[in-house]
Amino acid sequence: MLIWLLFLFIWALPILIIEMSIGKKTRMGVVGSFTHLMGKNYSWMGAYVAWVTAAITFYYTVVTGWCIKYFFATCCQGLLKKNPVEFWNNFSSSWEPVLFHFFAIAMGCAIIYAGVVKGIERANKFFIPSLFLLLIIACIRSVSLPGALRGLDFLFDPNLSQLGDIKVWLNALSQAAWSTGAGWGLMLTYAIYSHKKENPSLTASTLGFGDYVASLLAAVTVIPAVFSYFAFQANTKEQVMNVIEQGDRGLTFTWIPTLFSQIPAGTVFLAIFFLALCFAAFSSLISQLELITRIFIDSGLRRKKAIFFVGSTCFVLGLPSALSMGFFDNQDWVWGMGLIISGSFFLLLVLKIGPKKFRKEIMPEVKGRLKPGKGFDFLVKFLLPVQILAMLGWWFWDSYKKNPDNWLNPFSQSSVGTVLFQWAIALIVFLLLNKFLTKKMEAKYDDD
Amino acid sequence: MTTDALLFMILIFGICLGGFAYSLYLSYKNK
Repeated sequence: MLIWLLFLFIWALPILIIEMSIGKKTRMGVVGSFTHLMGKNYSWMGAYVAWVTAAITFYYTVVTGWCIKYFFATCCQGLLKKNPVEFWNNFSSSWEPVLFHFFAIAMGCAIIYAGVVKGIERANKFFIPSLFLLLIIACIRSVSLPGALRGLDFLFDPNLSQLGDIKVWLNALSQAAWSTGAGWGLMLTYAIYSHKKENPSLTASTLGFGDYVASLLAAVTVIPAVFSYFAFQANTKEQVMNVIEQGDRGLTFTWIPTLFSQIPAGTVFLAIFFLALCFAAFSSLISQLELITRIFIDSGLRRKKAIFFVGSTCFVLGLPSALSMGFFDNQDWVWGMGLIISGSFFLLLVLKIGPKKFRKEIMPEVKGRLKPGKGFDFLVKFLLPVQILAMLGWWFWDSYKKNPDNWLNPFSQSSVGTVLFQWAIALIVFLLLNKFLTKKMEAKYDDD
Repeated sequence: MTTDALLFMILIFGICLGGFAYSLYLSYKNK
C-alpha cells in the first residue's frame, strides 16, 4: 500500500498536471496536442496514447456490461438465491455479455452525444457523489460484520518485506495509472473544455486524492467482508489468499454475491454495491469515449458522425473480449502495462520543450497555492525517467529469470513477449501513418 | 485489530482524505 501511495506523488499527479496543462494550451485532442507541441514528426506518439486508451475501452465496455447485468440480476433475477459460480459460468459462456457490452456502449454514447456540459458534467455530478455515498454505506456494513476486523489487519499490515518484489511495484504502478487515469489522455481531453483560470495542479490533486479515497473505501468494503466469511473456519488467511488470487473478476462476480448472501438484507447491499460499480464504470467510460471521439472531431468529422463511428468500432473490437476470457485477460495485461509507455510519451513531450520552459509557457498562469516549482523540473528530468527505466528493466530481468524459455513468447497470454509484440505493432502502424495524421491535425488547426 | 495496522490505516487514510479535503477547500476558495 505504501508503494501504491508513493506512485500517486511520483507518477499519477505529475502526469495529470502535465496532461491538463497541455490540453488547456492546445485546446486539441491527444494527437493534435503532440503534433503542435512536439512537431510534425511526433503525431504517432499522440496516436499511440489514444490507441492505448481505446484498446482499454474495448474491453472496459465489456466489464461495464457485466456490472449492469449483475445489478439487474440482483434486483430482478434473485442472484443471491443462485449458486454464484454457476451463474457466472452460465452468463460468461452465453451471448448475454455481448448484449450488455452493446448496452454499455449505447448508454455511454448517448451521454456524450448530449455534449460535455449537458451530458458528461451533469452525469458525473450525479455519478461521483452517489458512488461515494454508496461506497460509504457498503463499507460500514462490511466492517461491522463479525470477524471483519481481521481483514483490516491484513489490508493495513505495514509489511516492508514485499518491497523487493517487482510484481508488487508493477501492480502498484499499473493500479495508480489505471484508477487515476494518468497517462490515458483523459485529463488532456477534459482540459480542452475547462475554464481559463482553472489550476491544473488543483484539479489533478482533487482527482488523484479523490480517486485514492474511493479505492481505499472499495478495499475496506471487499477485503473485511471476505475475512468475515471465513472468520470461523480454520486457515482463514490462506483461504482468503486463495480468493484474492482469483483476481478482481472472481472476487467481484462470484465472491461478493456469495458474501452478501450470508448477511441480513444482503440483496439490498449487493444491489448498492453493483450500482456503485456501474456508476464508477460509467464515470470513466464516458471520458474514454469522449477522448476517442475528440480525435475524430479534430480530424474533421462532425460530432454526431464521430460518436457513431467510435461506438460501432468499440462494439466490434470489444467482441473478442466479450466472448473469450483468455483474450480479455491478455488485453487487460498488455494495455494496462501500455500506460507506462503512454506516460513516458507525455514525459518526453515535456523534456523536448524543457521542463522550465514548459512550466513558464505551457502551464497556465494561476494564482494561489499548489503551483509547480523547481521540484517539478527535478521530477521530470530525473525521477520520472529513472522510475520508468528501472521498472521496465527490473520487469524484463525478473521475467527472464523466472521463465527463460517462454518469457518472450508473443502468443503467451501474459508474457513480456505478448506485451512487446502488441506494443510494437501499434507503434509501427502509427509511425507509418504519421504523415497522414499530421496532415489531418494541421488542417484542423489552420481552420481554427 | 493490531495497533500497527490501526496506525497505518490512520496514516494512509489521513494522507488521502487530507489531500482530498485540502484540494476541495482550495477549489472552493478559488471560486
